[in-house]
Amino acid sequence: MIDFQPVKILYALFSIFIIFNIGLLIQGIVRKIGARVGKRYGIRFYQPYIDLIKNYSLRTSITHGIMFYLGPVFRLTGGLGVFLFIPIIFGSVYFQNFSFSGDIILVLYFIFFGALGMALGAGEGGHPYSAIGVSRGLAQVTAAEIPLVIAIMGIAIQYQTFSVSEIVAAQQGGIANWTMITNPLLTILGMVAYLGSMMRSPFDVVLAPQEIPIGPPTEYHSTFLGILQTNRSIFPMAKTVLFVNIFFGGATNWFILIIKIFLIYMWSVFVAVVFPRFRVDQSIRWFYKYALPLGAVVIFITTLLF
Amino acid sequence: MVDPIYIFVIVLGLAFLLSLFDKLSRNLSLFLFFLALASFVYISGSWFISLLSGKEELIIFTAGFKPPVSINLKMGLIEAFFTSLTNFLGLLSAIYLFRKFRAEAVYSLILYLMIIMGINGLIMTRDLFNLFVFLEITSIATYSMIGISSDLKSLTAGFKYMIAGGIASVFLLIGTIYLYRSSGTLNIDSMISSVGLLTTKTGIIALFLVIIAIMIELKPFPANGWALDVYQSVNSGVVAIIASGISAAMLFVLFKLTPLMNENLLTAVAGIGLATFFFSNLLALKQENPKRLLGYSSIGQIGLIMTVYVVLIKAGFIRDSQIVWLISGGLFLNHFLAKAGLFWLAGIIKKEKLSDWASLRTSPILLFAFGTFIFALIGLPPFPGFFAKWQLVMTLAAKGMIFWIVIILLGSFLEAIYLLRWLGKVLKREFQEKFAIHFSRILPIIIFMLLILVLGAYYSTLIFAGNNLNILYLPMLFVFLLFILDFLPVWIKNTLTIAATACYSYLIFPQLAGYKNIFGVIFLIGGVLLLIPGYIKKGKRMGFYPFVAMMYAGLAGLLISKTTLQLFTSWEIMTLGSYILIIRGKKSEPHALSYMLFSVGGAFAMLLGFGLLFSVNGNSLALDSLANVSQAVGTIYLLLGLGFLTKMASIGLHIWLPGAHGEAETDVSPMVSAILLKAGMFGMIILMSAIHSAKIGFVSLPYSLGWLGAITVFLGNLMAIYQEDAKRLLAYSSVGNLGYVLFGLALMTHLGWLTSITYALNHFLFKALLFLAIGGVVMRVKTKNMYEMGGLIKKMPLSFISVLIGIIALSGVPPLSGFAGKWMIYNVVLEKGWYFQGLVVIIGGLIAFLYCFRLIYAVFLGQLKDNHRQVKEAPIALLIPQYIMIFAIMLFSVYPGFILQPVGDFLKELFPQGALIWNEGSAFTQFGYWNGGLIFMITGGIFAIFFLLLFFLNRKAQKVKQFNIVYAAERPSRPELTHVGYNFFAHYKKALGSLSQPYVTKFWDTMSDLFHSSGDFVRRLYTGNGQTYILHILLFVLAVYYITFGG
Repeated sequence: MIDFQPVKILYALFSIFIIFNIGLLIQGIVRKIGARVGKRYGIRFYQPYIDLIKNYSLRTSITHGIMFYLGPVFRLTGGLGVFLFIPIIFGSVYFQNFSFSGDIILVLYFIFFGALGMALGAGEGGHPYSAIGVSRGLAQVTAAEIPLVIAIMGIAIQYQTFSVSEIVAAQQGGIANWTMITNPLLTILGMVAYLGSMMRSPFDVVLAPQEIPIGPPTEYHSTFLGILQTNRSIFPMAKTVLFVNIFFGGATNWFILIIKIFLIYMWSVFVAVVFPRFRVDQSIRWFYKYALPLGAVVIFITTLLF
Repeated sequence: MVDPIYIFVIVLGLAFLLSLFDKLSRNLSLFLFFLALASFVYISGSWFISLLSGKEELIIFTAGFKPPVSINLKMGLIEAFFTSLTNFLGLLSAIYLFRKFRAEAVYSLILYLMIIMGINGLIMTRDLFNLFVFLEITSIATYSMIGISSDLKSLTAGFKYMIAGGIASVFLLIGTIYLYRSSGTLNIDSMISSVGLLTTKTGIIALFLVIIAIMIELKPFPANGWALDVYQSVNSGVVAIIASGISAAMLFVLFKLTPLMNENLLTAVAGIGLATFFFSNLLALKQENPKRLLGYSSIGQIGLIMTVYVVLIKAGFIRDSQIVWLISGGLFLNHFLAKAGLFWLAGIIKKEKLSDWASLRTSPILLFAFGTFIFALIGLPPFPGFFAKWQLVMTLAAKGMIFWIVIILLGSFLEAIYLLRWLGKVLKREFQEKFAIHFSRILPIIIFMLLILVLGAYYSTLIFAGNNLNILYLPMLFVFLLFILDFLPVWIKNTLTIAATACYSYLIFPQLAGYKNIFGVIFLIGGVLLLIPGYIKKGKRMGFYPFVAMMYAGLAGLLISKTTLQLFTSWEIMTLGSYILIIRGKKSEPHALSYMLFSVGGAFAMLLGFGLLFSVNGNSLALDSLANVSQAVGTIYLLLGLGFLTKMASIGLHIWLPGAHGEAETDVSPMVSAILLKAGMFGMIILMSAIHSAKIGFVSLPYSLGWLGAITVFLGNLMAIYQEDAKRLLAYSSVGNLGYVLFGLALMTHLGWLTSITYALNHFLFKALLFLAIGGVVMRVKTKNMYEMGGLIKKMPLSFISVLIGIIALSGVPPLSGFAGKWMIYNVVLEKGWYFQGLVVIIGGLIAFLYCFRLIYAVFLGQLKDNHRQVKEAPIALLIPQYIMIFAIMLFSVYPGFILQPVGDFLKELFPQGALIWNEGSAFTQFGYWNGGLIFMITGGIFAIFFLLLFFLNRKAQKVKQFNIVYAAERPSRPELTHVGYNFFAHYKKALGSLSQPYVTKFWDTMSDLFHSSGDFVRRLYTGNGQTYILHILLFVLAVYYITFGG
């Protein structure tokens, strides 16, 4: 049950620090790999650090109002919220974050929290491209969440719990106990959902830099952008940790966690390289047409099996 | 006591003398005329009173001879009742016609007296030949009265009447002759005692002829074209006499002859009445002429009363028993008063189109009278028709006569359609000219209006007898007071209503227990909160407060109802009040109509359900008896459920909601959306806590409700994202939200109900908040289209915060209270194993994000429009309740256990298993856990840190102007073009096109078309040609003969 001690805040901060660095490094490395595959030299792998430092050191002299401030704050609170309510390392007393205050449903809804908040801030900016990006982004998110909620429901049906720690616990004792093996179809569904939430091709029309200058964050610069970038390194990692936990047996130490994060992350990178971008209506239709029936089958099979 | 024979003596005497007096002075003759009419009222009235107090009835044989030479009259209680009524009508109608009588020849006075005398004779006579004579007197006097008018239409109508009446008289005379031959007597009583003599073929045919003659006079379908022409074209004062007076007399004659009828004839009469009721109402659907419409309604009502009386007798009730007169008398009084009143009104308005009646609005008292009569005819409380209909349904259901109930309710529904449409036109349409008002014309209308109200109150005491808790009297008294005080300025009435609601809550709260407490909070405390915005209105706001009070009275009544009757009465009172509130919106006419039709339809389903319940449960009205139902469980569940679900606007029954809630006034929308919808839920809780499972065939009803709820969530939310109109968006969102509630209830588990009930409370908070905030915006910017707004955060920051909190609570995003509902839904889905439905609900919930964002973005963010630069913040009276609700939402978010724990505790009585386990603010189910307070703190902490950080880092930042955005170094276009708001989720529509087609609306439109066009088609029967009408009558007679007696 509950054993909240102030020292946990410190542990949580520490795990945030680690995941933040992992996020930045993975971003850099992936971009580097991408460049090398394309026969370019590419950036230095630590370029994201430099960008971040640059953005944080800039001071803006303009603002569009309070809500404009709140956009990045909401976004980062959402990202951190997702991360903070997931237990990171199985069996460790230090890296459980605040997962005692809520289960996987809380995590799921924190994913929406950031999206909604960011949309609000972007709206306050008053830029039409922001609004277009938000309209696309929210519409796609609601469709992409369909396989996600179905997958989470499937997980809950399989393990009869919503507690992430218990889900991980049930998968201990070797790779044969991972959801990936015990319920492969469910994992496929989960990985489809993962694609939908990673803002990579084919589901990256929201930012669509070639069409509309960077979508919702169009009006954001300097520190605002810095916060958004911080979130961009934490939020995907948080989601990936969640996937590690529910499909791939969790992790008992940081090393395994990092390996798993990297491998899962690369899945979205590979797909992005192969498939071109969907329009929003196409991606919505794709999720309703393929992911939803797949989800129905998965739930059906899961109820039969477990 | 004056002998009733003097009625005849006075008329016969005056008939000769009036012309003489008239030579002296018109005023003298008029004086005598009115004196005579008043003396009739006195004579019959005094007999009625003394007979009531137990005096013996009077039998008269004039001059000591036996009939047919003399006149045989009887003055019993019922005769006294009917003559009193018709004489009173005669007097009032004469007052109404005063100006006409003063202007026209003296003959019209004489003819009028003759009609009234004929009616008295028809009622009192006990002799068949006398009956014929009186019928002739009445008819001939009526033809002549119609003929005096120089209006060509009236004249031809009178002629058709004469032909039809002539045929009827021929049948009556021949029948009488042969009856005399068979039975050897003309006296009805002797005939009844020797009814055996009439079983010969001659006797039967003779009887048939007599009955059919009377039937023709009662204008049966389809042999009634002539009557419609009469109603349409003859002077209103005279028509009031024909429709109410003569019809009353003929009805009574029919009742008098029922002892003579055998089973076949009784069935025939009942069948003809029922067909007449149904078809008249069907045919009236497309009618545009008010008097002809009233004609249809009159004919239908007479058919109904005829059927009801005969059916009750067929069911084995004794002729003069109390129950028979309670029911048929109630229906009759209702019709008699309302129809006469409406015909009189028609004479004042003198307009040929229903929509032209809108000029009634210039006279509040007449408008009130009109509304009273219409609602009485529809059968809403507190009018006699309502109580009579209730008693009728219960009585018939107890006898297992469901078929009759169904057809009667169907006919009543059709009647409600055109009456409500008419009322809507009167309340909303434009009008050009006023009408002339003369005291003599208004007085009778007001008297009948008061009479119908008094009778309604009296009837309620009769029907409520035995239910010693007359729950509605105190609030209804207040409603009545508000009607009287309606001339006061709005703030006084608002304060009064708030005070009264608060006091009444204080009175009834101690009586509430369990889940009723939550509804008490929503209905009453919520009611008080949502009355506060009323202070924004200026002037008098006539006709608002009585109906608000009525709606709240109904809602409060629901809470403390212990019997089905109390529940149903409260329900209907609530419906009536809310209808008037809804129709007050500028463009609400069609939506209020659709609201009311669904409500009336749903109420009839409920009524039938209660009837069935009454019959299978040993004639018990107790609501608790719902739990003991063992037979027809599925049907009862379905019927009651249908009634409640229409109010909850579940998919399929929801099409009234978006318009009704969206177009309503600023402070009405939150009332109907946040409070009124919960009445349906309240009903469902009553139903479902009593009956846990019910099946129709193989279909489990709670399981179906689960799917219905899930689909409602999905489609309601999906429709909401496409709305351009902010209030409609919220309205559709309510459809979706109530889907959650339904889904939760349908689960029939502890957690499901906990979710549902707390969600209801939460929905009350955020939906009232959103409707108030958006209402304030709409009030200021004068448009409801979101794409025409934008950037209002700078002008209305307080409203913005309200909407922000509202949408966060609605969308279920942590840390606010909405998340509790989402979390429980997941758990309960897993617990129950309803994965597929559950996922539809959850996916539907995701879609809610889209409209939540659109609502706040398109209204408050983005680009401010030039014409909104001077907009001010919403008035304080709107903001106060909003901030109270924000406070409540915050409290509920930080301490969710504050509500969840007590609700869970009393739910344990119903569902002991599966309750939440509480530990230091954390809630646990068998699957998961959640700590609202802690989440709030953590989220708040992170939020505050970064917000303050940003603020600190950018402390020197300046606020830039609206168009200072990154725009390729160009200046942006006009705000209208820069603000992306229109068709915001076009891609969603493109992707899911077929799902957002209005199939349900199409379905109901097709149903409506079906009824209207079939009514319109059958209506062509009435060609207006007298010869065709004769053919109809003859064919009708033949058809009835063959159907009744076979070949």
